[in-house]
Amino acid sequence: MTIDWWTIGLQTINAAVLIWLLARFLFRPVAKVIAERQAVTEADVQAAEADRTAARADREAAAAVLDKVAEERTALLAEARAEAERTRVSLAETARADMDRERQRARADMDRERAELTGQMADEAGILATEIATRLLTRLPPDVLVSGFIDGLARSIAALPDPIRAEIGRDGPVPLRAARALTGPEQDQLTRQLTEVLGHPVGLVITPDPSLIAGLELTTDHAIARNHLAADLDRIKSELTAHD
Amino acid sequence: MENPLSAEPLFHIGPVPIAEPVLVTWALMAVLVGLSARATRRLSVHPGKAQALLELVVTTLDAQIRDTMNRDPAPFRALIGGIFLYVLLANWMSLVPGLEPPTAHVETDAALALIVFAATVYHGITGRGLKGYLATFAEPSWVMIPLNLVEQITRTFSLIVRLFGNVMSGVFIVGIVLALAGLFVPIPLMALELLTGAVQAYIFAILATVFIGAAVGDDADRPSIDTPDTQDPPP
Repeated sequence: MTIDWWTIGLQTINAAVLIWLLARFLFRPVAKVIAERQAVTEADVQAAEADRTAARADREAAAAVLDKVAEERTALLAEARAEAERTRVSLAETARADMDRERQRARADMDRERAELTGQMADEAGILATEIATRLLTRLPPDVLVSGFIDGLARSIAALPDPIRAEIGRDGPVPLRAARALTGPEQDQLTRQLTEVLGHPVGLVITPDPSLIAGLELTTDHAIARNHLAADLDRIKSELTAHD
Repeated sequence: MENPLSAEPLFHIGPVPIAEPVLVTWALMAVLVGLSARATRRLSVHPGKAQALLELVVTTLDAQIRDTMNRDPAPFRALIGGIFLYVLLANWMSLVPGLEPPTAHVETDAALALIVFAATVYHGITGRGLKGYLATFAEPSWVMIPLNLVEQITRTFSLIVRLFGNVMSGVFIVGIVLALAGLFVPIPLMALELLTGAVQAYIFAILATVFIGAAVGDDADRPSIDTPDTQDPPP
């Protein structure tokens, strides 16, 4: 076996040249484009990372805005509730005041109506009592309508103060109303007893007045002396009405 | 009788004899460079099928170099890749009727081994410095200097003999079987030669990588531009 040194040299040169050519036309261009793609990919990754960071920041900002909106909503709701509560209380107080006022007005109206009704009933009762008394007195003897009231009238006049009693009949006859026309003996008895309690003679102008029902009434400038059933009924009605 | 192991000159250029391996190598160079120039003429960031295949080859080559040398493969890519592609195609020349693989001649294998040897020395000196590279011959002890020096020669010869023996034996076997049995009988053996050629190309390239890597030393801490090894180690 022989070694061809020329061939070894040529093949060495060939291999070296081939390696250089392949580096020039194959490996470097391919490696370069791979590096470029890696750079592009890296840039894309960095851009995506930046976008993700921006998106995260936007999301956090949106969350902050949502939190703020939620807080504002809560505050507005609380304020609205407070305002509604104040309005409710105010309306309730106004309604209560209105109700109290209406209640007082209704009570006043009811009191007034009841007073009016009571007065009306009292008047009707008085009329009815007068009617009853009048009808009942028709069953009694006629002298009862006057004679039984002469002593009472004399006692009423005797109870008057002396100056007033002294003035009665000084200036002339005194008007006197009677439930009916007095008889002669009744006039004499009345004149005699009045003269006794007055201490001086007195003239009478007697006027029959059936509205007195029974009894007498003496009228002077300074005093009125009543002793008849109509006055009693009026007094009783006034007392009953006052008690109500 | 013609010696089948010798490379007889086909013609001469001046005083230089041109044998068949040289001629075939020139043809391979033309094909490889021409295809490479054509394939890389319009590279794009968005690759087509051909570019994707090229990128697959380059990234696989880079991964192999990175795994073996544990450093950036860029300075060694052209050397290792060029040797691999040339040896692979040269081995497969046995399939072309009338041609012998250039690697079936010891001159071609010796040339490749010489280049590997030179590259080992060059990268060893550039990686470690002259003093540092020479110091590697005294590792682990100065007693080992003769053995390390002999190793430089023997492993280069092992590169030559391994590739030459495998390819030459395959060519001989196919030739003998073809002469004895007939036209189509050696086809399975030729298919086996495809596998053997690829394996031998891979072995030659990976051994060259190992030798150069041993010369430049482990440099895992050196930052890499295009490798995933720059990632932070897990806690």
